[in-house]
Amino acid sequence: MSFLKSFPPPSPEDGLRQQQPDTEAVLDGKGLGTGTLYIAESRLSWLDGSGIGFSLDYPTISLHAVSRDLNAYPQEHLYVMVNARFGEEEPKELKETPVAEGEEDEDSDEDIEPIAEFRFVPSDKSALEALFAAMCECQALHPDPEDEDSDDYDGEEYDVEAHEGQATLERLEGMLAQSVSSQYNMAGVRTEDSIRDYEDGMEIDTTPTVAGQFEDADVDH
Amino acid sequence: MEVSHSVKERTIAENSLVILLQGLRGLVTTVDLRDETVARGRVDNVDAFMNIRLAEVTYTDRQGQQVQLDDLFVTGRNVRYVHIPDDVDITTTIEQQLQAIHRVRNFGSEGKGRREFPTRKYK
Repeated sequence: MSFLKSFPPPSPEDGLRQQQPDTEAVLDGKGLGTGTLYIAESRLSWLDGSGIGFSLDYPTISLHAVSRDLNAYPQEHLYVMVNARFGEEEPKELKETPVAEGEEDEDSDEDIEPIAEFRFVPSDKSALEALFAAMCECQALHPDPEDEDSDDYDGEEYDVEAHEGQATLERLEGMLAQSVSSQYNMAGVRTEDSIRDYEDGMEIDTTPTVAGQFEDADVDH
Repeated sequence: MEVSHSVKERTIAENSLVILLQGLRGLVTTVDLRDETVARGRVDNVDAFMNIRLAEVTYTDRQGQQVQLDDLFVTGRNVRYVHIPDDVDITTTIEQQLQAIHRVRNFGSEGKGRREFPTRKYK
C-alpha cells in the first residue's frame, strides 16, 4: 500500500482526544494489520506496531458509524467512509475527473467521486462509543469551507453576540447584587434580619432564599 | 428543547432552514446522502453545519444492501435530502426552535427571562 508511511504518533499537543491500541485497520476489505488508532482534533491517524500507518483529514471523511451488525461484517467496528482515493499519492477531495477503473471493488459505475471504506476493529468493543463520539466532536471542528451558504454568518456582523453577552452580564450582575442582599438568610430560615428586609410589603413565599440556588434549572442546555 | 451552546451556531441556525432539521431531534427519519446511499434512523442531533447524527440506523448502500448501524454521523456536506416526517408541522417546528433560541438568548433580561426574585432591590 503506497499510502502507508512512517510518522510519529499524535500527542496531546496535537489535540489528541482518543487513543485505542490493539485496533485492526481494514481498507476496502483488505486488512492492514493491527495497530493503534489516534483520534486527534487535526486528523485521524492509525499506526501499526512498526510505526507505519496513515492519516485521514476530517474534511475528507463523509461519514462514520458504529457497526454492530455481525451479518454485515463479522466484527463490531468503527466504520469510516472517506471521500478520497487510496493507493495513490495525494488523496484529493472530490474531483470531477473520472476514476481509473479496476482500483475500487466492483464499482464500475464509480465515475463521480472516489470512496474509500475504512473499518477500525478494536479488540475492546466497549470503546466503540467513545471513539464514535470523539470523531463526532472532531468533525464538528472542521466545517465545510466550501459551503457558500454560511459565508455571511460569522456572528460578527450581527448584534446577536453582543446582545447575548450583555444579557449574560446583566444576569450575573443581578445575581451578585441579590446574593449580597440575602447574606443574612440562613438556608430557608428566616432570621430576624431577613424578616425586616422583606417587610416592605413585597413578601415572597416560595422563592429560594439563597440566590442562584435554582439558576441551573431554568434553561434547557 | 435543546439549543446549541455556541452563539455562532445559534445565529447560523436562526437564519437558515437547518433550524427545521434541528426540530426533528428524537424523530425517525430518512436522510438521502449525496452519494446516493440512504440512512434511516432516529435523529440524535443536527448542528448548524447540517452535520447529522442518527441512532439505530438502517443504512442502504448503492447496491441496495442494507446494514444496521448503531450510530451514524454524516457530514453536512454529504447530505442531499432530509425527509420530513409526514406528521411534522413544519411551521410549528420552526417556531418552537426559534422560541428555544430566544429563551436562551434573553435569559436574565427584564420581562422575558424568569427571575428568581420578583423584586429587584438593586439596579
